[in-house]
Amino acid sequence: MALIAVSGHPGCRFEEVARLTSQRLGFELLTQSRIRVLTEEEFGAGYEIPDKAYPNLVTSILARLATSHHLVYCAVGGELQPRHFPGALRVHVVAPENVRVGNVMLDNRLERPAARQLLLEMEAAERSARKAKFGKTKATADLFDLVLNAESLTTEQMSELIATTSGAVGLTERGYLSAAAEAQLQFQMRLGLARHGIVPPDKITLRKKVFANNSEEMFANLLDFYRIAWDYEPRSFPVQYDRDGNVHEAFTPDFYLPELDLYVELTTMKQSLVTKKNRKVRLLRELYPHLNIQVFYQKDFENLVFKYGLAAQPVQA
Amino acid sequence: MSTVAIPGVERVLFTEEQIEHRIREVASEISRNYEGRSIKLVGVLKGSIFFLTALARYIEIPLKIDFLGISSFSNRSGAPGIVRIAKDLDDGIEGEDVLLVEDIVDTGLTLRYLLQTLSGRAPNSLSVCTFLDRNSRRLVQVPVDYRCFEIPDRFVVGFGLDYNQLYRNLTYVAVMKPEKNS
Repeated sequence: MALIAVSGHPGCRFEEVARLTSQRLGFELLTQSRIRVLTEEEFGAGYEIPDKAYPNLVTSILARLATSHHLVYCAVGGELQPRHFPGALRVHVVAPENVRVGNVMLDNRLERPAARQLLLEMEAAERSARKAKFGKTKATADLFDLVLNAESLTTEQMSELIATTSGAVGLTERGYLSAAAEAQLQFQMRLGLARHGIVPPDKITLRKKVFANNSEEMFANLLDFYRIAWDYEPRSFPVQYDRDGNVHEAFTPDFYLPELDLYVELTTMKQSLVTKKNRKVRLLRELYPHLNIQVFYQKDFENLVFKYGLAAQPVQA
Repeated sequence: MSTVAIPGVERVLFTEEQIEHRIREVASEISRNYEGRSIKLVGVLKGSIFFLTALARYIEIPLKIDFLGISSFSNRSGAPGIVRIAKDLDDGIEGEDVLLVEDIVDTGLTLRYLLQTLSGRAPNSLSVCTFLDRNSRRLVQVPVDYRCFEIPDRFVVGFGLDYNQLYRNLTYVAVMKPEKNS
């Protein structure tokens, strides 16, 4: 198996490097939010994993997935997971404070002094999370195989360097984790997790991203072009229940953009079906008022597509 | 202007006079806000050229001008690639008050990328001025400090905005005649 663990200083956008690397190599990307989703799918929403159980839980999930995927794992402390796996590359992205303050300034729409303060808080939170989960406050350079500086390297260059290094150390030629190796790892992890009363997930699977239509694929490509992280249909929201409280109707937005905390629904269908979709969106907004959702109707999307040179003409509004 | 002779153009959205009047207003707001300082206008190629030059003429504080261009998205050849700077600024912006000048802010995706890129170069401040703002298709909430006009969800051309690279030189902004959906 191949496991590339990507972590970095707060504010240096190492998540983008991880995402681009996973795309470049065709590896599955596992972010902290994805781990959370997989954990929720297994244990149910709101399940609190004790900090000390976290490394074992993540290793268990990674081991399960590594039997059928090569992985890019992107999370704080990611460099500490690979010690359990035979083929791993540990990457750390750093950047000078100036660059990171600039990123925080934009991401949070803050003035520079406020952004600097927030960055300090993010660093403190990261140290504290690292300490709670892994018993260490700092990640020193000797824990990594590759340290990249985002000041002088673009995201694309960094992902290219990671891909080249992966090739040089033979990562990309490896097979998946064998069932025997996984069983051995799971046994160790189960022992660790049992102390916290946790039964590790058995059924974890990654859904392949098969898009329902070309528009969705095109939209995903557009997001990739602009380096916006996305999940495809990550969550369904019940919008109607029957008398017994069972879910009668649910709505699954097409995309979730975690960096923007935004759900996007593409409605590139016949007008007759749009009415039904609109009703669902309205119900969703009523039941989940905190959700941020943007609906792209056919004309919106086609004009967007036209703007990017993918269609011959704009369409009727 | 009651009729439009150019084929494909449906109607005028903003006349030359309306545009000039509004640009003067925005320019004087910028001049007030940056009083006692100088600014650098950074135009995004190619669409912002017409707006930037018109705006610069009415700004009453010292200013510098620079341009940058980014690669365009195309899905035709399979992999879409990654957005990148195709033409970088000629000079650095460290310590400068930068006003990024756009022709139109639409989804916000391009602007987000540009702001991320420029903020890392340690400017003293970084603001955004756009000629047109089409908020209805916004995906990314980006800070727009100055805008001349908000527009509906229609395809528009003129005053720098193109249709297959044409119509940038129109002195007004017009709505394109839409294709009828079958």
